[in-house]
Amino acid sequence: MTSALATLGRTAEESELLASLAAGIERLARAEIRPLRIDRERRIPTAVLSALAEMGLFGLSIPEAYGGSGLSMQGVCAAVATLARFDRSVATTVGLQLGLGTRGLVAFGAEELKGALLPELAAGRAIAAFAATEAGAGSDLSAIRTTAVEEPPGGLRVEGSKIYVTNGALASVFTVLASTPGLGGARRGHSLIVLRRSDPGVSTAGEEEKLGLRGSSTTGLQMDDARVPLGRVLGTPGRGMDHAAHVLAWGRTAMSAGCVGAARAALELTSAHVATRRQFGRPLAAFEVVRAQLADAAAIAFAMEALVRATCELEGRPEELAMRSIAAKVFCSEGDWEICDLAVQLHGGAGFIEDTGVALLLRDARITRIFEGANDVLLAAHGGFAAASPPVRAPLDAPAADALAASIAALRAHLRDRFGVRLMAQQRQLHRLGRLAVLSEAADAAVRRAAAEDTAGARALAAHWVEMARRRAAPLLEEIEPIEAIDAALRSAP
Amino acid sequence: MTTLPIEERIVHMIAQLTPVRPAEIQMQHRLREDLGLDSVCSMELLSMLAEQMDLDVPIEEAMGITTVGEAVAMARRHLAARGA
Repeated sequence: MTSALATLGRTAEESELLASLAAGIERLARAEIRPLRIDRERRIPTAVLSALAEMGLFGLSIPEAYGGSGLSMQGVCAAVATLARFDRSVATTVGLQLGLGTRGLVAFGAEELKGALLPELAAGRAIAAFAATEAGAGSDLSAIRTTAVEEPPGGLRVEGSKIYVTNGALASVFTVLASTPGLGGARRGHSLIVLRRSDPGVSTAGEEEKLGLRGSSTTGLQMDDARVPLGRVLGTPGRGMDHAAHVLAWGRTAMSAGCVGAARAALELTSAHVATRRQFGRPLAAFEVVRAQLADAAAIAFAMEALVRATCELEGRPEELAMRSIAAKVFCSEGDWEICDLAVQLHGGAGFIEDTGVALLLRDARITRIFEGANDVLLAAHGGFAAASPPVRAPLDAPAADALAASIAALRAHLRDRFGVRLMAQQRQLHRLGRLAVLSEAADAAVRRAAAEDTAGARALAAHWVEMARRRAAPLLEEIEPIEAIDAALRSAP
Repeated sequence: MTTLPIEERIVHMIAQLTPVRPAEIQMQHRLREDLGLDSVCSMELLSMLAEQMDLDVPIEEAMGITTVGEAVAMARRHLAARGA
């Protein structure tokens, strides 16, 4: 079963390229990509990286003028989803290049800088990384300490250190988020700055030992009195947080596509297993509870893919894209985890054994709920957006999805009346509004996808997901427990 | 009830949310560009102000605030309306 996302481009030409890429990736994967070995050896073989570069995968999102394929966000997501079906470390390495790694440069880089760097990156001769996280600044990027100050004439001095830099050991081009006081007239502004491994004062630290994604490189990045020209600043100096929001929206969406591919792989392995594994005289697939669990997983996977597509449709509309990419990131990372967890469960004891492959899928999925914004932080932020500027939603020709959206809108109106601006400090209220918004957005995306595909199968999967979303929303629509009761329990905890 | 002037209260709140020192904060400073508060943090600040001073400020009104001085004026308006 090939996911429709794998070959769905924005144009017929793009779809054709994606179909040929999907076939090429599948051939390469069958011949050379060995996920368990990559996991064990904690590196992707050089031959695999070279083959991926040869296929043009590292340049898919880079404009054709610089030697890339100039694919849309939809096209990039299709390729990442295909890679993630075979190996998550490979998908992360490539996806990082296509999203977080090069997006800032493509969207905001000066012509001279793009001309100097993008052709190498497009050919896969150079790998890119994005460095934002610091020891004291995870989800709270405003706390970053890495600082770049202007050094006349025409230079910048960068000082600081970053952690958890994906592609760190492979990369020669880093987009770094730094505090740039005074630059561009913003007293406390931030800027995105491109650093090269060859710049004086730039170095990376050793590889981190991780729970999953072990083939993907993760290192620190050190900037000790690093000196670069002022032309390395991307976009408007001092507007780095806004530019980072754009880059992160791409990164989150590409990561969500990876979740779709991995969840598909888990579902395929599990469907095959339950069809053949017999217990109590019957295949597992004959048991009602197993069938219900698989139907839920299939419906979630359908909605995940639909939400990624709905996100990609917002390419070119930055504010809406930023919000929707948060919904996609949260929904797809949780869906990936839920499906991979079910895969381990339905494989029984074998699921706990590495050779089966589903244990690796589960380990690799775990980080997606944390990186590119921890889900709980994103949910509260999403709830904040939903509370402050309620999205305009045209009714769909789907009563269940419309009813879900209406019940959420009623809760939002009630909370706005009750708290006014104080709602923005009610973290648990925002968190549940965010979660409800994600459920509703995924329901709407599934309904729209089913309408577009117009098949009985798509309609059944969408209807099942909307029903699941309704059931999952119900407890969130109830009044929350008073914080006093929660704190009392917390105080009594040993 | 309030004993500290509104200006002083808001300056302390900003200092809690950002690394900026209270003495550096001025009324004309923009919450985003000068103090580094993104839109969510700005709303959190106004929310804290409303909470501390027990003001009922609609979200729409708070969304229009861009500087420290505007936030102070907003709080004054609501205090005056309550006193009237």
